[in-house]
Amino acid sequence: MADLTVRVGNVQFANPVIAASGTFGFGREMRVFQDLSRIGGICSKGLTLLPRAGNATPRVAETASGMLNSVGLQNPGLQSFLANELSFMAALGCRIIINIAGNDHEEYLEMCRQLDATSIDAIELNLSCPNVREGCMLIGSNPQMIEKLVAAARQVTRKPLWAKLTPNVTSIADMARAAESGGADAVVLINTLLGMAIDRKLRRPLLRNNTGGLSGPAIKPIALRMVAETYRAIGIPIVGVGGIMDGNDVLEFMIAGAAAVEIGTASLVRPTACQDIIREIETIMELDGVSEVSQYTGTLALWNG
Amino acid sequence: MQTIEFSCPIIDRESINDQTVVLTLEAPVIAQTAYPGQFVNLASNQFLRRPIGIMNADSKKGSIQLGIRVSGEGTRFLAGQKKGDIVSLLGPLGRGFHLEGARRVITVGGGTGVFPLYFVQKVCQTRGLEGIAVCGYKSRKDSLLTDQYEALTCQTLFASETDDDMDFSGHAVAALADLLLKLKPVPETMILTCGPETMMASVAALAKKHGISCQVSLEERMACGIGVCLVCACKIKQGDEQESEYQRCCTEGPVFNAEVVEWQI
Repeated sequence: MADLTVRVGNVQFANPVIAASGTFGFGREMRVFQDLSRIGGICSKGLTLLPRAGNATPRVAETASGMLNSVGLQNPGLQSFLANELSFMAALGCRIIINIAGNDHEEYLEMCRQLDATSIDAIELNLSCPNVREGCMLIGSNPQMIEKLVAAARQVTRKPLWAKLTPNVTSIADMARAAESGGADAVVLINTLLGMAIDRKLRRPLLRNNTGGLSGPAIKPIALRMVAETYRAIGIPIVGVGGIMDGNDVLEFMIAGAAAVEIGTASLVRPTACQDIIREIETIMELDGVSEVSQYTGTLALWNG
Repeated sequence: MQTIEFSCPIIDRESINDQTVVLTLEAPVIAQTAYPGQFVNLASNQFLRRPIGIMNADSKKGSIQLGIRVSGEGTRFLAGQKKGDIVSLLGPLGRGFHLEGARRVITVGGGTGVFPLYFVQKVCQTRGLEGIAVCGYKSRKDSLLTDQYEALTCQTLFASETDDDMDFSGHAVAALADLLLKLKPVPETMILTCGPETMMASVAALAKKHGISCQVSLEERMACGIGVCLVCACKIKQGDEQESEYQRCCTEGPVFNAEVVEWQI
């Protein structure tokens, strides 16, 4: 029997498959189709301190091997989440990570304070949403601001802190180092790449927000390269994300250096992607003769010279 | 656990015109539970699935029918599928039309909007409700499903914007206005509409003027179709005092009471 357990810092997961923020809601819709106690964890839809309506539509555009979205963090706000969703999520039987996005430094801290008293397993600091004007990517593309925010969050909560990083920077490894210096328990990479789609006849962007975040298999090579680069730059665990569609993709991310992974866009075209991928990992491990999935992590041998 | 994804063989394919086909798929589970106004999300050769309204469901035969008009690469691929090919689909999805309490059901379809409304009239026939189908087309050559509608017990009114040889010369909304003036009112009448947003907004306004309840089937660009990605948001009114909020076209919709829709035109 293959051992699928992995650790991200102090948190143990039954397997390396975590549902990515914004592609799984709070688990309610997905629970109808699959046993969520079997997946490693769920990362919640990004929460803000106050409710957010999100951006105008159209919010989606299909691209070659992927999609652009500009949802803009539509969510019911932290209070409503704590009152109406948290106990539901906590009872699902897998690890629960809460993704939070602030308009400013203080909003992140306020949310960390409020989540500190709950039963959640980790907080994912969203330093990377490309579809909002404040916070998020603005903080996440400045190493000083990342370090300052993570360090301040560290002071207000004992929960493991994961920093979800944006690829829309010159060096994501620098951002990961800043998160590590601030005291992050793990970094999550990558969020979506900022992109655009154009309607030639109208000479207008397809998205009402003009730009959006690119996800799906189109971004997998970029995400793999960034995980491999970051693995060599920091000592804390990496949660890999970006275009993972199957079990083989998961193991590629782990070889590049990821301790665990998040599955996002795959769930939008195949609602049972997470549970299917776990089975695929088991099959591949048997073929590879690997008994513990964590043995894949960081085993990439780069070509020299 | 509920199964959501099905691999369905195509058991029949009928070409309606050079842009449109009706596919009949073997989908016993979906055929059993689907009701008018719901949709399925079909995998094609493109990355995202394509949401398509259910045109008909036959629970005895275990099959469903889908009307597909080519509007891009994904629908071109789907329309080109042949008998025996297998397509992956998610469904049935969304909240459809509510016929409870209706005695007379008037459907107003524009273009491909006549597909899901065919299912409405089929159910009206089964339940013994009085049905009136208004189907609007740009021209006679764009007309869809006229034979199929005529084979039902409902009264039909085909409107063409550019030809004089159909039942009504002009827009579907004008055809409906004309019809409502001539019809002897029956309490518990419902108007159900599907088509371009401008048409549906006009139908809703006309229904309101006549004091008839109206349901509309909205369309938004979708991804997952199951309510997790939040891209298919539509503006829904929350009462006079409050601001409208975004609801999911795929989950709270696609059918909404016309009164609550904040039109984007």
